Amino acid sequence: MPTLAADLPSAAEPLLRVTGLSTGYGKVGVLRGVDLTIKVGEVVALLGPNGAGKTTLLRAISGLLPSQGSVSFAGRDLAGAAPRETVQAGLAHVIEGHRVFTQQSVVDNLLLAAYDLPRGERSARVEEALGYFPEIAEKRHQRAVALSGGQQQMLAVAQGLVQRPRLLMLDEPSAGLSPVLVDRVFDVVRKLRESGTAVLLVEQLIEKALALADRVYALARGSIVLEASTAETDLPHRLEHAYFASAPVAAE
Amino acid sequence: MVLSIVLSGLAIGCVYALIGIAYNVMYSASRVFSFTAGTLGMIGGVLGSLFILRMGLPVWAGFILALVGGALLGVVTEIVAVRPVLKSLDQHLYVLSTLALALIVQQFTAIEWSTDAQPFPRIFNIERNSFDQQYWLPMIACVVVIVGLELLYRRTLVGHAFRAIAEDNYAARALGLPERNLRMASYALAGVIGALAGFASGQMLLAFFANAPLLTFYGFVPVALGGMGNNRGAVVAGLVLGLFQQAANFLVGGIFASVAVFTVFILVLLARPDGLAGASAGRRV
Amino acid sequence: MIDMSTTQASRARPSAIGSGALGAALPLLVLLVIGVTLPLFAGGYWGVIATRACVYWVLAAGLNLVVGFAGQIAIGWVALLTVGAYTTSVLAAGNVMPPLHPYLALAIAGVVGAVCGVIVGLPALRLRTFYFAITTLGFATIVTQIVLAWASVTGGGVGVAGPIFPAPFDTQWGFYYFCFGLAAICTWMTANIAKSRFGRALTAIRDAEVAAEANGISKPGLLVIVFLFSGATAAIAGGLFASLQSYITPDAFTIDLSVLFFISILIGGRGSILGPLLGTILLTVLPEFAAPLVAWSTFLYAVLLLAIVLVMPGGIAELLDFKSRRPLESNRAIIPRPDLLKRLLGQDTAPGTLTLEQVALSFGGVRAIDGLDLTILPGQVHGLIGPNGSGKTTTLNVISGYYTPQGGVARLNGVALTTLAHHARAHMRIARTFQTPRIVGEASVLENVMIGGTIDGRGTFVESLLALPRHWRDEKMLHETAMLALSAVGLEQLAGVRADRLQHSELRFIEIARALMLRPAFLLLDEPAAGLSAEEIRRLGALVVAISQAGTGVLLVEHHADLIFDICHHVTVLNLGKMLAAGTPAEIRSHREVVNAYLGG
Repeated sequence: MPTLAADLPSAAEPLLRVTGLSTGYGKVGVLRGVDLTIKVGEVVALLGPNGAGKTTLLRAISGLLPSQGSVSFAGRDLAGAAPRETVQAGLAHVIEGHRVFTQQSVVDNLLLAAYDLPRGERSARVEEALGYFPEIAEKRHQRAVALSGGQQQMLAVAQGLVQRPRLLMLDEPSAGLSPVLVDRVFDVVRKLRESGTAVLLVEQLIEKALALADRVYALARGSIVLEASTAETDLPHRLEHAYFASAPVAAE
Repeated sequence: MVLSIVLSGLAIGCVYALIGIAYNVMYSASRVFSFTAGTLGMIGGVLGSLFILRMGLPVWAGFILALVGGALLGVVTEIVAVRPVLKSLDQHLYVLSTLALALIVQQFTAIEWSTDAQPFPRIFNIERNSFDQQYWLPMIACVVVIVGLELLYRRTLVGHAFRAIAEDNYAARALGLPERNLRMASYALAGVIGALAGFASGQMLLAFFANAPLLTFYGFVPVALGGMGNNRGAVVAGLVLGLFQQAANFLVGGIFASVAVFTVFILVLLARPDGLAGASAGRRV
Repeated sequence: MIDMSTTQASRARPSAIGSGALGAALPLLVLLVIGVTLPLFAGGYWGVIATRACVYWVLAAGLNLVVGFAGQIAIGWVALLTVGAYTTSVLAAGNVMPPLHPYLALAIAGVVGAVCGVIVGLPALRLRTFYFAITTLGFATIVTQIVLAWASVTGGGVGVAGPIFPAPFDTQWGFYYFCFGLAAICTWMTANIAKSRFGRALTAIRDAEVAAEANGISKPGLLVIVFLFSGATAAIAGGLFASLQSYITPDAFTIDLSVLFFISILIGGRGSILGPLLGTILLTVLPEFAAPLVAWSTFLYAVLLLAIVLVMPGGIAELLDFKSRRPLESNRAIIPRPDLLKRLLGQDTAPGTLTLEQVALSFGGVRAIDGLDLTILPGQVHGLIGPNGSGKTTTLNVISGYYTPQGGVARLNGVALTTLAHHARAHMRIARTFQTPRIVGEASVLENVMIGGTIDGRGTFVESLLALPRHWRDEKMLHETAMLALSAVGLEQLAGVRADRLQHSELRFIEIARALMLRPAFLLLDEPAAGLSAEEIRRLGALVVAISQAGTGVLLVEHHADLIFDICHHVTVLNLGKMLAAGTPAEIRSHREVVNAYLGG
């Protein structure tokens, strides 16, 4: 979206800067001092074994989970912001498990994502988001419960796009999808990059994620254990090493 | 005789259904059953009598102010008794906090208004007949609320947002919906519905503080039997309850009618804890 | 050896254990002295108030076990007061049959009340919290209406005269001593229960129901006993109440009275005896100090309830709990002593094998487990890994009985587990821990661990109620074993601390200590390393290995691949509810498909 260029931060300043972020559930610490940056229009993959805290990190960034540390986005301080404020700041979070509102139609699901937009703009934005996914545009008046899992995932991504975010965070968009549908979703991510939207992608399909992303972070045991450009060679091996072999138990 | 049983049964059934809907509207927004549901109904009747009979306001003004009072009580319920304990739903503190608030309002009414049942004004100045306004007012209120809620939930974006937070609160928050404001609005709406039930049934139940616990109990029966969050179930179960109660009243006498209702309620619940219509939502994976 | 470790432990906290018991009893003793000497310094009017407080406490003491300990929101307990009052009065007055002696009438009322207590309480076993609260309220309304309607027996709205107890209890102070005596007995009995395995089991049902079941505590069985007891004390309080009022009508039994009982317990604090006792005295006496406010008393009680719920959920008991304000050592470490395990777990002979055969389970069309075979051998650590949603915890829950599989069977030594009630697993010596530690926050660490040994107690509820010898033997045995288990996991220095003051990692080790109390043949650990530091994970690993070396079979569900590969004898990898691979850690690590699935691929 070139029209946004005017108020983009300068090239030196990243779009999202997370510093020293720690959080957890109750007394259980999950993340310990995570640092992470995303530049404008960059696709970043966030990888890591189960239970490493990937989903938790996305929740903390979007304000769904309270956290300590600083989160600045497009020059704004978003630490402690409610999810609604982060969405309005241009940071959309598509949560895991394609949790769309099953009893409402496709269009109504998208209109809900446009809740805070001026009344006149809503349907145009909904059409724009549907433009990315002709498959569900055909079913616009069906209830979401009638969609397949893959189509529900497309709807969830489309919900994220309604706000025209500067950064779209996708949590395991491929889970439960057939390979063809995964490619469809990833194609959309490529299109978004071309239009200048940054994407933070949590993904289980490592090879596909690496093929798509510009940069990669690996999270293990609540901390970032690897940060690399996907152009680097030997990345899969380094990733595996980062997952398994760096713990004190194995080191002894 | 049969006609009067049916009419009064349907009328009181509509009141139970409306209180049941008030329970459901609050439950959908917060997963909390509030003991203040019956208090909302009681306050509708007391405020109606206060504004129209005691203060001499015109009927329409008294009506609107009674509904506003209900809405306010709904919002107070949300702020004082629900929001502070939402974080620890599993501890069931809401049962205690809403009970406390219900008692506070009820006792305040008893002391400052009256400990005896007070008369409620006639709304329309027309002659009494067998199908009197005290019977058809609750029925109209019930129809208006059902149609109004249906339009709200199906046709407006706010209504869609209400349904969204009811179905998946977490996804709604992630999407940036103003979940807290929507919850407050739901409680205000429940307050209006409850107060409307109390106002419409004022001539039948009078303006009486002790209506609160009765409505809290009898309004919950349709919710429990019809399935929580299920408004259609609540309306059907409310009407059946009203008819059953009035019939038992006539056949075996008032006190044993209450015993009969209670016994049936307990037995049905023990057999089907999720209610008769109780298709609980499938597990979300 | 046992003696050595316990003395060691008590030396670590001599003040907590020695002065703790005295400290707990001291306020009760003060109240006892005040109660006995009251006629010396108080006028007749205060005698009536004090008698009323005693009568209320007889009811509230029993209700305290239901509300404060078992956590059941029973609001309408006034129904049982009504039942007791009318049963005693009607039988003593001879309305239906020849007049009975007041004591006999009171005793019969107790029996009737016990039965009614079960009837009122029973829905709690099946209904959700709010539903149960509403049904108890309904009971309270119904009983009053029945009393009104049944005029031939109860006198209807006119009422009936209360019983008069014979000399020496027929004077005002005489009757006071009668009520005071009963109140003191109720205090003593409920305090005995509070300090017994039954009291701890009740708090476990309240705060950690699944953990209670996993430790073999049967919720229906225990609640029925408590409802019997609570119903009996409520009805006896009713008989006393009728005598105190000298004439009773249905108006006397308002819902306000019910609210008073309920609120005095909550003001006092859950899981305490002294707190609710003070709460009852406070609410009985308070209106006397502010006569103009009498009309507002229920209003004020409700305000108090709201304030307690929102501001001070711990109640008076927490205000008086000075011990828990002392700061804990901040740099404490958990240092397990695996050498104690052999003694704790005993030398049981080979416990056989735990097997799953073709177990299948789906939730609403989604297959959570799809034909899983698994064999867990004694003395080995069996790792279970796989991506989120692959069915690991579901497998654990099938073994513990929270889910009944739609196909296949789980067996221990050939005995099918799947047909047993879930609390029966504990008797088969299958113990487990939980992903989120399930503990009783308000109980001490030691008490939490003692919950694990509940099924090994031999005394009955009545023996504990009356503090008979077997109660003491059970307590001594559980105390010693629990201290040993705590020493084994390295937490003995925190035995007397309230569990909710501990760090998350310490709670994980408490759960393991509690599970060890069962002397488990098989131990199921659900992500025990989550939230632990690297050093703590290392100690956990050593502890788990030692547990297996003592003969216990361990099933370990874990995300920390390093821990799994480090300590397991055998690893099973699940994906989408099916076994993807199985073998030794070394085999699994070199398994390409596994690495892909585990990393995602």
